Amino acid sequence: MKKIFNYLNPFAHLGEKDYSFTLPLFTSLLISLLSELYALQIAKDPMSVGGYIIFINFATVIYFAFRSGIRGGLISTFIIILYYFYIIYDRNYTGQLFTSGIVTTLVLGSIYAAIALIIGYLKQNIDNLIEREADGKRRLEAIVDQMPVGVVITDSEGNILQTNKQFITILGRDAIKGTKIGQDTVDSITDFYHKKIPASQWPLAQALATGKSMTKKEYTLAKDNDNNTYLQVSASVIRNKVGKTIAAVSVVSDITQLKEIDKRKDEFINMASHELKTPLTSLRLYIDSLLKNRGSDQVKTLKSIKLQTEKLQQLIADLLDVSRIQTGKMIFSMDKFDINDLIKETIKDMQKTTTKHNIKFKNKGSLMVKADRLRINQVLTNLITNAIKFAPLGGNINILTKKTSGKITIAVQDQGIGITKDQLQKIFERLYQVSDAQEKTYPGLGMGLYISKEIIKRHNGKIWVESKIGKGSTFYFTLPLKN
Amino acid sequence: MAKILVVDDDESIVDSITLILEDAGYRVDSTLSGDEAYNKIKSFIPNLILLDILLSGVDGRDICKKLKKDTTTKNIPIIMISAHSSAVKSAQEYGANDFLAKPFGIDELLEMIKKHLKKPNSNRSLSAS
Repeated sequence: MKKIFNYLNPFAHLGEKDYSFTLPLFTSLLISLLSELYALQIAKDPMSVGGYIIFINFATVIYFAFRSGIRGGLISTFIIILYYFYIIYDRNYTGQLFTSGIVTTLVLGSIYAAIALIIGYLKQNIDNLIEREADGKRRLEAIVDQMPVGVVITDSEGNILQTNKQFITILGRDAIKGTKIGQDTVDSITDFYHKKIPASQWPLAQALATGKSMTKKEYTLAKDNDNNTYLQVSASVIRNKVGKTIAAVSVVSDITQLKEIDKRKDEFINMASHELKTPLTSLRLYIDSLLKNRGSDQVKTLKSIKLQTEKLQQLIADLLDVSRIQTGKMIFSMDKFDINDLIKETIKDMQKTTTKHNIKFKNKGSLMVKADRLRINQVLTNLITNAIKFAPLGGNINILTKKTSGKITIAVQDQGIGITKDQLQKIFERLYQVSDAQEKTYPGLGMGLYISKEIIKRHNGKIWVESKIGKGSTFYFTLPLKN
Repeated sequence: MAKILVVDDDESIVDSITLILEDAGYRVDSTLSGDEAYNKIKSFIPNLILLDILLSGVDGRDICKKLKKDTTTKNIPIIMISAHSSAVKSAQEYGANDFLAKPFGIDELLEMIKKHLKKPNSNRSLSAS
């Protein structure tokens, strides 16, 4: 049935198989044959049905000119004229009858051909217009679908006409279930203050209500898990020539990543400025005292200044490391080396910084690992520095190494103040918790543990801590052994 | 001679402040640990306390709050120090008499100390001791 319909549908050939030659040819032949049969067999007087035949022929030519263009109309005309000549030949017309037959045929033929040309030409233009518009629409749809932002287009009532893939990715399929903006279809959208936004206040609904454009409004999409999605939404209405609103379009961008980067940047700047302010403060005080000629021992003050500048230098190196970690640009150069040797070297350097603490390491022999020697030295230095710092009263700091299958575990044990359970979970995770609810901070942890964690992670190792308040802490990390 | 206690977990800060205050004629004692601060206050009986917010293990503001609740210590002026200038508000809420944002210079430090030592409530704590 559909096939038959397609044969008859004047627009069916658009993008379908091309019947523009065969169909007018055979149909016109069939019509001529049927006309001849009707004229000879059914009608008593063949001449009396001439009017009907001409009428049917007109219809045929118009139909095929419209269906298949100029070519279809002309083919049909050609077959019909042939049939008319056949009639003149078959009926043995002579004299005046013959002449008028020929003239009628030529005149009708010219009219048919003219109709075929005019209608075919118009049809061609209409087809081109339709095709061009369809192409434009296809192009537009492809562009809209490929856009990295979500797009929704509605009519003037707010009924959704079109969405792109990204829109559904961002807001979920549920967003278009109820197909009207202005009804509560997505109830998880909240504003900057986490207040639920009724759908009637969505930018698109507001643009439709007021006729004004809404640009770059920010919302939070609270999903099931803790991770919020931040949205930036713009909307405007589309007007026709006389200014009547005919549709509205809204663009939704997922700016979660940008927000994250922004947040991390803020955290980093906050931490950097905090870390730098402490040595800066003592530097300023020492320099002030030198300028005012205060303090008895100026050489001692200058030595303190030197120490503080070294501290600043180390801080800046750490800050750069943190920045490299956050942008994924920390580079490692892996070497085979003896970890016991490295520990001994590190201890030698670190023992110089304290007189209250005794750093001990008993292991003898060699233990080969494949790692970045400088970076592992950095981790050891960080852990021993913390052990010294958090045992202000002094005591022993024990370093232990233990070889197990495929890996080596290194432990740094202090007799310091210990770490509370609450802090245990956070010390590796956050650089600094500068402004939580009570503005409480976990001080003195700096960047060392964060950097250490990243270094060990990149060596496919693990780092963790065990601690008892008042008794001390033990930091462990593992490295893969070099067989 | 007024006595000042410096509580900060950064040795260089303690050192530099001690250097300046002793030079200015104050008697100075210091501690790097927040827990030790209470003992020092009991034995040293300072006329003024310089207290850092960020201390290893404890929050300086908690120490401040505790001292301000204790009748024997509540009249000792406390100046809180922090690198977070935004902490000024919370320092006041915890009862601190004043706030000094890092980094600061000698003049700011000495002026602030002078201001609080002149106040009558600090004299009262002097007579109490």
